[in-house]
Amino acid sequence: MMNPKLRYRLVKSKSVEWIIVLFAFLITVPLIAIIFFVLKTGISKISWHFFTNIPKPVGEAGGGIANALVGSLLIVLVAALIAVPIGILCGIYLSENKDSKLASYSRLAVDVLQGTPSIVTGIVIYFWLVKPLGTFSAVSGSVALAIMMLPIVIRSTEETLKLLPSSLKEAGLALGLPYHKVILRVVVPCGFSGILSGVMLSVARIAGETAPLLFTAFGNPYISTNVLKPMQSLPLLIFNYATSPYEEWHDLAWGASLILLIWVLLLNITTKLITRKWKVQL
Amino acid sequence: MSQLDHEIKLLKEEVISMWKMVHSQLEKGLSALLNNDKDLAREIVMIESRVNAEELKIDRDCEDIFALYCPVAVDLRFLLAVLKINTNLERTGDIAEGIAKMIIDTEKPFESDLLDTTHVIEMYHEATLIVQEILTAFVNEDSAIARSIFRRDEMLDNINRKANKMIADYINTHPENVEQALSLLSIIRRLERVGDQAENIAEEIIFYLEAKVLKHAKKKEIE
Amino acid sequence: MESTIISSKNFNAYFGANHVVKNVSIEIPQNNIIAVMGPSGCGKTTYLRCINRMHELIPGATTEGEMKLHKDNIYEMNPILVRLRIGMVFQRPNPFPNLSIYDNVIAGYKLNGMKLQRAERDNIVEGSLRKAALWNEVKDTLHKKGTFLSGGQQQRLCIARAIAMEPEVLLLDEPTSALDPISTASVEELLFDLKKNYTLVLVTHNMQQAARVSDKTAFFYLGELVEYDKTKEMFTNPKDNRTQSYITGRFS
Repeated sequence: MMNPKLRYRLVKSKSVEWIIVLFAFLITVPLIAIIFFVLKTGISKISWHFFTNIPKPVGEAGGGIANALVGSLLIVLVAALIAVPIGILCGIYLSENKDSKLASYSRLAVDVLQGTPSIVTGIVIYFWLVKPLGTFSAVSGSVALAIMMLPIVIRSTEETLKLLPSSLKEAGLALGLPYHKVILRVVVPCGFSGILSGVMLSVARIAGETAPLLFTAFGNPYISTNVLKPMQSLPLLIFNYATSPYEEWHDLAWGASLILLIWVLLLNITTKLITRKWKVQL
Repeated sequence: MSQLDHEIKLLKEEVISMWKMVHSQLEKGLSALLNNDKDLAREIVMIESRVNAEELKIDRDCEDIFALYCPVAVDLRFLLAVLKINTNLERTGDIAEGIAKMIIDTEKPFESDLLDTTHVIEMYHEATLIVQEILTAFVNEDSAIARSIFRRDEMLDNINRKANKMIADYINTHPENVEQALSLLSIIRRLERVGDQAENIAEEIIFYLEAKVLKHAKKKEIE
Repeated sequence: MESTIISSKNFNAYFGANHVVKNVSIEIPQNNIIAVMGPSGCGKTTYLRCINRMHELIPGATTEGEMKLHKDNIYEMNPILVRLRIGMVFQRPNPFPNLSIYDNVIAGYKLNGMKLQRAERDNIVEGSLRKAALWNEVKDTLHKKGTFLSGGQQQRLCIARAIAMEPEVLLLDEPTSALDPISTASVEELLFDLKKNYTLVLVTHNMQQAARVSDKTAFFYLGELVEYDKTKEMFTNPKDNRTQSYITGRFS
């Protein structure tokens, strides 16, 4: 006969274990539900036609999201062009100067920036760029998104480089390399996979941002590649068409949602693969 | 080859060269005895100082190797053996010198029938040969040869044991030659000690090769 | 008479206010192996890192006194040129993990942007790996990453990388402390061969290693140079009581 106290403890231990497993399973449920639902409603709307055409006027069936696809790609690309160099350089500074005063302030600033609501960023850019320029423009949207990307790129760069052993830097210096070459040709290449994964994740993160684009890129029913003019993007299209009263536009919004979802999923998965493949064995 | 191997190889070469020097001292002594060659005997006395210098050098090298390389196992046994072999060789060298001095001090050449009756020449040959053999055992790391030395040494012991009686008989018949007879007895005693040194060296070689301590063991156990 | 390649006179090194190397004067003869030994925190590694000016890279680190390479004051030269002439091998093997074995060996040229002809490069790689006694083990896998090698091989790769730059002096900071006995033996053997072409300064915790491989030994204690002498002399007849206690393991 087992000691009842011991038995109670064993039962307690087992049940806690089960609860943990249950919750671990539960967190996958929302994701699966979203994917399933978007897939179910969106898949039938997607065709070649869907990718190559712009939306038809109200009342006409068919039409596509070509304008939003081109717009999203352009806006995200420009945002990345702005944020990635600044973010990586800033991350290098933070990891190289762990104890300087400037580093601790800028680390704090990065943290606060990360917590800034995206709509606030959008409004600020509206007053800084859109108003002075006198028109909504893709580039102002890119700037807003770049500001959102920065903290992610900076922090992931910093964390990656901090993990590199200092012996690597010393190896470079002892071979007579000047400091800038040690950073550019030893430290950054060794942390490349970590930096890259930070960049990819930040791109995935901003690809679906809507709020800052409302005040900046604004949207455009036609294909446009002029970054100084308003431009359509996937999240904007979804927001606008899903809230409209027209059945055809709802269809477009579902299709676009599926595309956006797949885009973000693919980005995340490739990041994982690339990180694993390019990971430098220390 | 590791540095220790290298050092041990050098040390071994040094020991062998000292060994050859001692062996040649003995050979020269025999030749000096047969021909009553006093110059050769004096040469032996002079060379003895080189043997001594060599002994000191080997001791120093052993000390350095102990200090720098902390040898273990077979290397340790080799060095311990070399230290003792070194001493034994030096003593053998002393014996050769002693015999040479004896020859220098003898006025007339030794009587040939005195040499014949005591078998001292055979004994001398054997002693020199033993030193040569045991060197072969050392060079080839051959413990079988080292073991054979114990048996060969018995011949020297035999002659030595009979020597008293023979010398006494000789003195009775040749009372005018007492001094020479006593010198010869002393040479025989010394040659016997050469055999003892060789035996000690053989024991050290077996210790180095097989890690067996034969010192103070009964003869039967050895074989 | 051997000529002196590195000499320091009344050399001091500090970490902030912490005086870690005190008034050290040493003359290092060419084509010798000099062992620097002493208990932890005795300043031996700091002294070594002062020779190729790696010490000053640490924030707050300063030096004082004279340190010469031949007749030139190291502290008046460009540190980058100093490090090209005085190579260094570290405690833990640190090959560049993103480079192949081949590229690791010529890393000093490649990363510095020095252009080399293909044939010249191949020559340097093969020559350095041969000198580092690694060629036969890696000649078929030159384009694999250096980090796939064993610890001892990695350390020899780091030595090859250092000697590919043709330095005059090679500083070794406890190069075998992270290696197993077999790899240690192979690295020690290598040091012996390298002596023909280079002057080696070897910091070691392990006094047996100092005894085995070095020609001269320096004993540091609490930042001071206690004794500097021929290794044989040091290990059979040390002049200072502190040296005696240290090498006999009676330090208290």
